[in-house]
Amino acid sequence: MAGKPKPDAKKTSKVLKKGLHQRKHKKWTTVRFRRPETKVLSRKPKYARTSVAGKTRLDKFSTFLQPLATEKALKIIETFNTLVFLVDPHADKKQIKKYAEQLYNIKVTKVNTLIRPDGKKKAFIKISPEYEGVDIANKIGII
Amino acid sequence: MVKVKASELRKKDQDQLKKQVEDLKNELSTLKVAKVAGGAPAKLAKIKVVRKSIATALTVIHEKKLEKVRLDSKGKKYQPLDVRGKRTRAIRRRLTKKQENKLVLRVLKRKQNFPQRRFAVAK
Repeated sequence: MAGKPKPDAKKTSKVLKKGLHQRKHKKWTTVRFRRPETKVLSRKPKYARTSVAGKTRLDKFSTFLQPLATEKALKIIETFNTLVFLVDPHADKKQIKKYAEQLYNIKVTKVNTLIRPDGKKKAFIKISPEYEGVDIANKIGII
Repeated sequence: MVKVKASELRKKDQDQLKKQVEDLKNELSTLKVAKVAGGAPAKLAKIKVVRKSIATALTVIHEKKLEKVRLDSKGKKYQPLDVRGKRTRAIRRRLTKKQENKLVLRVLKRKQNFPQRRFAVAK
């Protein structure tokens, strides 16, 4: 007849004193305490915040606000083969180059920009020598 | 120029509408150039019409995009926010009609069992 094993007296007394579930104290080996990594759940939204993608704000039409046809601008067209445009202030030179080539069927060598004192952006779009600046300006309707 | 009508635009499909918007935007850019170069007043007046036409076309495009989303989410508990209807910020935060008119069970029973009686004197 195998008897029930006698409960360890020492263990029982410990449980009675400290409780059944005893957490082992972790030893800190560093001086600094760093937040322990916890589980990070990925998002599982119950509904979409925006279900339809909005339209891009700066497309090829909205970058160019208007061409400049001032005396200075006209002179620049003739002498430097460069068109002068007022451009959206958020547009960058790369965009301006790309969209100018698309819209006006030209080849752009470089773009210089400045921001006017009234907050508008002026772009000097230099056209490659195959194209005549004056012809392009005529086609667009500036002159 | 006659403004494009939304009812006519709704008959078109997405690609046609996108093309329409592109055409209108092209026209707008030429009109803007004309404004700078001193165009005829007829052209200058056209600018407003074209701008508004672009706006209606874009509205219709957006409507059509949302149509499918609306159908999919109809009747569901959680709908996407742009399907829910914008109303105003304050209105969205109000209690719903159901929530406002909710009664405690005790009161509900009382009202059901002892409704306000109305009597009339017979002629």
